[in-house]
Amino acid sequence: MIVDCHAHVRGPFEDRDDPWEQDRLLLEACDALGIDVACVSHLGTPRPATPDGFREVNRKMLKSLEEFRGRFWGYCYVNPGWTAEALEEIDYCLGADEDCIGVKLYNEYKINDPVVRPVIEKCIEHDVPILEHAGYSWVNIEKQPSISTAADIVDVGEAYPEAKLIVAHLGGGGDWEWAVRAVAAGPPNVGADISGSVVDEGLVEYAVEKIGDDRLYFACDMSMTAGMGKLQYSDISEEARQKIGGENFLKLIGREA
Amino acid sequence: MKFDCNAYLGHWYARQIRHNTAPELLSFMDSHDIDRAVVGSLSAVMYRNVQMGNEELAAEIEDYRDRLIPFGVINPTYIDWESDLDWCVDELGVKGIRIYPQYHSYEVGDEACEAVCEACADRDLICTLIQRQVDYRQSHPMVDAPDLVLDDIAGLCEAHPDITFMILNGLGYGGSRLITEAADLPDNYYIEMSRSSAFISKELKTVVDTLGDDRVLFGTGIPMKNPGPVFLKLKNLDISDEGKDRIFGDNLARLLDVQ
Repeated sequence: MIVDCHAHVRGPFEDRDDPWEQDRLLLEACDALGIDVACVSHLGTPRPATPDGFREVNRKMLKSLEEFRGRFWGYCYVNPGWTAEALEEIDYCLGADEDCIGVKLYNEYKINDPVVRPVIEKCIEHDVPILEHAGYSWVNIEKQPSISTAADIVDVGEAYPEAKLIVAHLGGGGDWEWAVRAVAAGPPNVGADISGSVVDEGLVEYAVEKIGDDRLYFACDMSMTAGMGKLQYSDISEEARQKIGGENFLKLIGREA
Repeated sequence: MKFDCNAYLGHWYARQIRHNTAPELLSFMDSHDIDRAVVGSLSAVMYRNVQMGNEELAAEIEDYRDRLIPFGVINPTYIDWESDLDWCVDELGVKGIRIYPQYHSYEVGDEACEAVCEACADRDLICTLIQRQVDYRQSHPMVDAPDLVLDDIAGLCEAHPDITFMILNGLGYGGSRLITEAADLPDNYYIEMSRSSAFISKELKTVVDTLGDDRVLFGTGIPMKNPGPVFLKLKNLDISDEGKDRIFGDNLARLLDVQ
């Protein structure tokens, strides 16, 4: 079973002839590339997200789960700066649909900022993973001053051994060698997804060599052929390909294939 | 036939590159059923004196000229660069060159760029621009080389209708003049498709539908990049098998006049 652990939906556009046109494009790609399930969040609200903003996009995400039952599993997106509202929203989304399987955090705060702790603890309470937008780069820093690095996520993984943490898009966050080394040096509850538009030869191989094949997760982050191309064409063992392709993520969220 | 217009030999200053000698690259090509490739020196991009990279390339491919087709790297801001260009033509036998305004401190369309374009026209050489050699987010802390602007490249193509241009590693073609004003621009440019999306926005289909399948080229970026995504893009591109054959190799073979 192939599970893309990092994707995004748009939800219904009620004013269009086909309200689901955008989500169908993702599904079309999944079908063509052999992806059984895509784990999706909806981030289409101005940032920093307000409670009304993240509630609105999460409702759309939940509608997508319902419309395409079994093909999409969901992440609840919150801004941890709104502590009470964020915790309430996580409870709501995880209770509203059994296919909501985790929490997505973006760049409002670094994940090791103390303001994020209640959200981390809420995820531990629900035993769900956090997919954390991440990057480490020398450029465009001013555009995302609070983006988490892999090392920030490792910090949290060490402080909270029960947390399930995923460093997002090794191929979409700048210096992937830096990120790989950070995760490799981190605790076993921190892994990374291989998504992103960057398809550098050796990326997946280096990640497997340094991190091992138990903490890496297949994903595309909407760069569909980049993600699947890296999974299918990297020089790794078939066993590793199977684990990265879906087994590791299913194990993380406690689901069967 | 798979004929890759976007391949390299040599070193990159910011990251270790594997499969970067001629025997290793050919083995890598074999493992992906790539028959031939146009290769340029990766080392030359950051050498002050790019010609040393061209000479390294010449030595490297000497025994493999049937499969590795050289393009020179030319820096028109460096001393006596026209001699480098002549050497590439006369000694290396190139039919085209690669230029790197973003790494050699000049602009697309400025005086240095115009000079090298005129030199290409005089020698009937293909001029290649690479929108990005690496993702900008992966920049080395000491090197700032933003992506080339596709509309600037469109202007260059428009200003030099007598030159054939190849554009590599580009993204965003669909919104650029290269596509939106294709009917008004000369048909002297060829687009390599490694970064165009096959799904969601389907930019690759837009490019092919607009330019025709005879002006789109198969390229991978090997050995810097994993070629797998390119194969998936072409596999899922909704055009005829004949059209895919043209993209995979026939177009480039025609351009370079090789069998």
